[in-house]
Amino acid sequence: MRIACPFCGERENGEFTYLGDASPKRPNFAVDSGESPERVEDAFYDYVYLRDNVAGFMREYWYHGGGCRSWLIAERNTVTHEFRSVTAAPGVGASKPVQAGE
Amino acid sequence: MADFSWNTQSPLQKALVAGRHGVASAQAGVTLVEVRDLVLVQVMARRGKAADTAKAAKKLFGVDAPSTPKAVAGKTATLVWSGPDQFTVLAPRTDESSQIDAMSQAFSGSASLSDQSDGRCLIRVSGPRGRDAIAKFSSLDLHDAAFPVGAAANTAVDHTAVNFYREANGADGHPVYSMLVFTSFADSLWHTIVDSSLEYGVDTSRTRAAA
Ligand SMILES: [Zn+2]
Repeated sequence: MRIACPFCGERENGEFTYLGDASPKRPNFAVDSGESPERVEDAFYDYVYLRDNVAGFMREYWYHGGGCRSWLIAERNTVTHEFRSVTAAPGVGASKPVQAGE
Repeated sequence: MADFSWNTQSPLQKALVAGRHGVASAQAGVTLVEVRDLVLVQVMARRGKAADTAKAAKKLFGVDAPSTPKAVAGKTATLVWSGPDQFTVLAPRTDESSQIDAMSQAFSGSASLSDQSDGRCLIRVSGPRGRDAIAKFSSLDLHDAAFPVGAAANTAVDHTAVNFYREANGADGHPVYSMLVFTSFADSLWHTIVDSSLEYGVDTSRTRAAA
């Protein structure tokens, strides 16, 4: 399996590390929002532990540690291993004024 | 109290045994050289300062810093891409502190610098069979069309990070590849390259970086 890093070009998958689903968003509750502790706990439980078991395309984090050391987001078909797209994760490089993380 | 002093030595002090190894043909298929006396600085643009960093690099080195995996020869240094909005400056060592000072001033406010001069080892592979030897341990596509003169790549060799780039062809017309590796892994990589080169005959030596 080869992965086309948007910075380095096509490389063997041994240069990359798989992190997992890129879809979950970290819950964002204001300290004084009055949200019930149960709801906050449920949201974090979901974010930390619960994952969909997708058969087909999913968005995934991959780290090109053996290359440009950038975090990437790939659309990969979990059934066929086809990569539909590989793009830089938000915050990669210094050009974009975005902080790391989504 | 006796003055304490640091004595720098090559990370290949033991591994590099100068001379011919492997097949004793008239001409060695591979030439393997450790390049010493380099100043090596990692330049990383700060958040939102990529354009300022590029401008500073152009002013100091007279060339555009690489924004894609390439090695670019500037006035006093070679700039090798090492990731998005970052590159490595390689210069023959003349007066290290003034060389570093000049860079610190030039990139003040736009980029963070990290002196890697004694943190990396530069190994150069050339000769008619150099590419064949590399093909045994690297998964990079080194065909001329895919990896021409001036191409660069961050890659992993034997699970070790290597900054790889291609220099101008040698006098013999064959490609010349340079590899920057962490000093603590240099010994291991050196042995890997020598082992891969034995069947072609390999000449090993050490040289100073050319100004
Ligand atoms: Zn990459």
